[in-house]
Amino acid sequence: MKLAYWPGCVSRGFTPELHGAMAAVAPKLGLELVELDRANCCGAGFISEHNQELADTLNARTFALAQGVDGAAGMVNICSTCQGAQSECQERLDADAAYRAHINEHLEPEGLEYERGGAWWNKNLLWLLVEEIGLDALRERVVRPLEGLRVGPFYGCYIVRPTRRLGYELYPDRDKYLEWVIEACGAAPVKYAGSHKCCGFPIVTTNRETSLRQAGRHMADALDAGADCVVTPCPLCHLNLDLQQPESQAFVERDLGIPVLHLPQLIGLALGLDFKELGLHRHVVKTDEVQAKVAALAAA
Amino acid sequence: MPDYSLKIRRYNPESGQPAYWQQFDVDLAGCSCQAAICGSCGVRINGMSRLACNTKLGEAAEDAPNGAIVVEPMGNMPVLKDLIVDMDAVHWKKVQRVVPWLLPEGDPPDREYIVDPESMIDITQSMACIHCGACVSACLSMEVDPEFIGPAALAKAYRFVGDPRDAFTEDRLLDLAEDPHGIYDCTHCFACIEVCPKDVAPMNQIMRLRRRATSDYGIKDGNNGYGHEKAFSDLIEKYGLLSEAQLLPKSYGDGSLIRAQVKPAALKELTAKLPTVIRGLRSGKVSPKTALIHRKLKDQDQIRRMYKEVESHEDRLELNLYIVGDSDAEEEGTMAEGGQEG
Amino acid sequence: MLAHDVLVIGAGLAGQRAALAAAEDGAAVGILSKVHPVRSHSNAAQGGINAALNPEDSWESHAYDTVKGSDYLGDQDAIEIMCREAPAEILALEHLGVTFHRNEQGRLGTRAFGGASAARTYYVADITGQAILHVLYEQLMKHSEVYRYEEWFTTSLVRDGDGHIVGCVARNIRDGAMELFAAKCVILACGGNGQIYNPTTNALICTGDGIAMAYRIGAPLMDMEMVQYHPTTLAGNGLLVTEGARGEGAHLYNAQGERFMEKYAPNKMELASRDVVSRAEQTEINEGRGFPDGTVALDITKVPRKRIHEALREIVNVGRDFAGVDITREPIHIKPGNHYTMGGVKTDVDGRTDIPGLYAAGEVACVSVHGGNRLGANSLLDTLVFGRRSGKHAAEHARNHKLPQVSNTVVDDEERGIREIVGRDSGNGRRVAQIREELGRVMDEHVAVFRDEDGLLKAGETVQRLKEEARNVTIDDKGTVFNQDLLGAIELGFMLDNAECVVVAALERKESRGAQFRTDYPERDDDDWLKHIDLSLDGDRPAVTYSEVTLTQWEPEERKY
Repeated sequence: MKLAYWPGCVSRGFTPELHGAMAAVAPKLGLELVELDRANCCGAGFISEHNQELADTLNARTFALAQGVDGAAGMVNICSTCQGAQSECQERLDADAAYRAHINEHLEPEGLEYERGGAWWNKNLLWLLVEEIGLDALRERVVRPLEGLRVGPFYGCYIVRPTRRLGYELYPDRDKYLEWVIEACGAAPVKYAGSHKCCGFPIVTTNRETSLRQAGRHMADALDAGADCVVTPCPLCHLNLDLQQPESQAFVERDLGIPVLHLPQLIGLALGLDFKELGLHRHVVKTDEVQAKVAALAAA
Repeated sequence: MPDYSLKIRRYNPESGQPAYWQQFDVDLAGCSCQAAICGSCGVRINGMSRLACNTKLGEAAEDAPNGAIVVEPMGNMPVLKDLIVDMDAVHWKKVQRVVPWLLPEGDPPDREYIVDPESMIDITQSMACIHCGACVSACLSMEVDPEFIGPAALAKAYRFVGDPRDAFTEDRLLDLAEDPHGIYDCTHCFACIEVCPKDVAPMNQIMRLRRRATSDYGIKDGNNGYGHEKAFSDLIEKYGLLSEAQLLPKSYGDGSLIRAQVKPAALKELTAKLPTVIRGLRSGKVSPKTALIHRKLKDQDQIRRMYKEVESHEDRLELNLYIVGDSDAEEEGTMAEGGQEG
Repeated sequence: MLAHDVLVIGAGLAGQRAALAAAEDGAAVGILSKVHPVRSHSNAAQGGINAALNPEDSWESHAYDTVKGSDYLGDQDAIEIMCREAPAEILALEHLGVTFHRNEQGRLGTRAFGGASAARTYYVADITGQAILHVLYEQLMKHSEVYRYEEWFTTSLVRDGDGHIVGCVARNIRDGAMELFAAKCVILACGGNGQIYNPTTNALICTGDGIAMAYRIGAPLMDMEMVQYHPTTLAGNGLLVTEGARGEGAHLYNAQGERFMEKYAPNKMELASRDVVSRAEQTEINEGRGFPDGTVALDITKVPRKRIHEALREIVNVGRDFAGVDITREPIHIKPGNHYTMGGVKTDVDGRTDIPGLYAAGEVACVSVHGGNRLGANSLLDTLVFGRRSGKHAAEHARNHKLPQVSNTVVDDEERGIREIVGRDSGNGRRVAQIREELGRVMDEHVAVFRDEDGLLKAGETVQRLKEEARNVTIDDKGTVFNQDLLGAIELGFMLDNAECVVVAALERKESRGAQFRTDYPERDDDDWLKHIDLSLDGDRPAVTYSEVTLTQWEPEERKY
């Protein structure tokens, strides 16, 4: 499947292991990724907070670039926040023809245009896995079922709310996909209070305490529920859950140390890729125990 | 009618016993209009904050774990009895906090105030709030910071900030921007938007409060809300992509790297962040190159042109789907009437 | 004992307006409500509020439409006052912050409404009542000198030996404490009695408490037979679809696709007054031209989508959530349903009842400005104008009177009554919900759009039996905290008093006027019945007397729309 691929900013900045893992996993899933290397930041909600028209213009530009990829089935992203921010803009662009025409005027000098509707879509890897690739196809490709690995799903707000904007009418189970994918990988999903809550990242610079207390609490809940690790389709969540975990511990007054995997890393493990290729050594919270558990499986 | 099994959280303060679960027929305590307008019947059904009266049993049963519909009192507020929570202690206190009445300048005119028709429709979205408390119950920031002013009260605040008859717009914004539990304490999780039965979209109103505070009044708050937004938007203008390494220091310097070095508060914040950055470097996550040198997008000039083009309008263009609805695109566009925010 | 100059019971529009007016005039005000004020039923007023504010319009025209709408039973002096004061009231609300719809010039804009000869209905989308209620509550939050007793249930009014009102007894719903409130005057503003019917557009709280409490201490009630059936309510649950829908251009069709209002009101069509439209619908349904579910169709699809979105949003939600219909795409089935109490506690134009110191305003009262049929968008106006006038007059009254001495024995009496209810053996009597259900059905069957003597007598017998049964009604909850069960039992008593008075008055009026249509007396009879029916408690039954209808400048004529 050929896809226009939007990796987002963070996967090429502070979470390079995500970008690498996706690059390693894609061919194994039969995906041909055409990276949108000229596309711009989605704005992560901050550009639209600053100026909605600007955010819509910037994302219309990304969509137009994606629509220009010949033979692509659609656009894929690997970041819940990109998905949410882009869906927000797409909702407005799709809702009103006159507004869309106005935004397209900003793209005209470069010969770009966003066209509404049709079969074109923009999906997070998680949605792509279930809806386009299919869980059966994923299961068929699993060479190393992650038996015994207990994984807490962490979705990221932008991919679960608001449901009306995020296509839940058509796909009502999108808030269960992460559990399904964990199962398809042979691992056991762990139920805990924070799986669909907020990591707190958007306010880490404006209210550090409210931000990190959320991150810490969810990781503590996952630990208490018996998770070996957490998996997230959102690199921004990853920043608060992994990079900031040593800081967030202080706000929940306990030791955490729970590894947080990116979605392609978890799939990569099940597809038999090696740890280094998946960048598992590039985490702040060491993934050694997860690696050991998986290594033991491979040996078995 | 099919049989429904309800699992209800019961609590009787007079019994001296803790709350317990009981499975039986519907037994809702606060309930009046039965038409989703009085806001008395806010509860959590299968974990979701909502009005009981417009919840269809059949649909709730489909989502019910183990077949029993789970009904609990709302969250983030103390329980008084069974499904009744103390809204006075939380919700109404917070509403009172935002000075919830119109403050016009001087004496009223002889006739009505003459105002832009769109502005009245615009704030009617906030007026549509029925104070059911669903958003307060679902608020994820309030869950960790009970002092957060919260979605309902901030939406109420926008009802005055967006009202052209109010003369204290800037003071209101300054107040809400400077409060550590104000507009910059919203974690942007969409939970309030999801649960609101009236499409008030409280988080959107909070974002509009932020937009007014920064873009219209240039309020440089002590919470770095201004700095963060400015830094973010400037970085994208300059580079097209986000660099966290520059975002942090710029945020604390009201968007300026230089000021971040000399502003004492900024220095303090930055020093607090230092361990994180060092850890990022040490884990091999971040190379000194990524940390310090920002990649610039190919075709960055396009982004700059778009910034210029959009930001040179006198009026910000804002399409509020609450007002215009989804016109199905094939129908005539409605943008011309669709909400110019002055 | 708690004491106030002016005690307002009920915190909907009339109550809040009265409290603010009394406080403005310097009175120490307390306001009691059995629900939080923003839960009041004023919320449900969707369509708007009438005023002749445009220079081309006139208060006389508004007053004439109201008089004609009332089928000449409204008191014209009161109607003149209401219509004359309406424009100032709208402007006052606008200045307080109500987000009224604007026209393109940024001035207050109007929509058309039933029975009106000009578009004079001012509105906030279709949440007008809610918007005004919330803005008044903003003012209450601002004026902290008005003391609010939220979630306090009034069980009875108290008079002294001279017959003067001296306060009330109320129960704090949160902890069950019974308190005596002493007051120089009391303003009743606790709404109508829609819950005596099932279905009804009214909230569960609309149990006629104020009407019954006033009646029990001797205040006369007036025009109790005049019960409005709204033309557009959902079958089954009775939810309201605003008249604003027809004001925006929606049409009514029978099952044969005929726009039947052509036959009944060729000029005003769907915008004839409510009694006329409801009767037309019921005739179509009774004569077999309705849908199998006993309804006719309201077609809103004619209204442009954007306009629906901006002006009828609530109806979109009601259709979707409660009828499973997308009103922007298909017609919705509706029928006449119980909606409004035109009658109530008899008052003068300052809200004074026959009991010194006792006032009433809003739906609980009968001034009468609505007579036999209330025009759409006149109810909010009634609450505000007479709420304000009552508040002002009460403040003036309070200035000239001393705080009364009240003995606490009245609280003991009330507590004894409550202990008796709580002490009943559950299992011996019927339950509140069962009696309520039977009452509602019987009223909707026999005391509805069309009435006759047989049906009314049957209804009367049922009400008497239910009154007996209510004396032994049993409840499960014996506690003190939020004991809604107990309050339900007390409300049931209020409701049955209301129902009894409605039936007695409907039997009494042997003609057809406004909402009272007697198939056995199908004509209006001005010679014998151009008069109010007043009911006063005599022993344990209502005694009937009559009072004159005040005519000023409009002689009764035949009513055509």
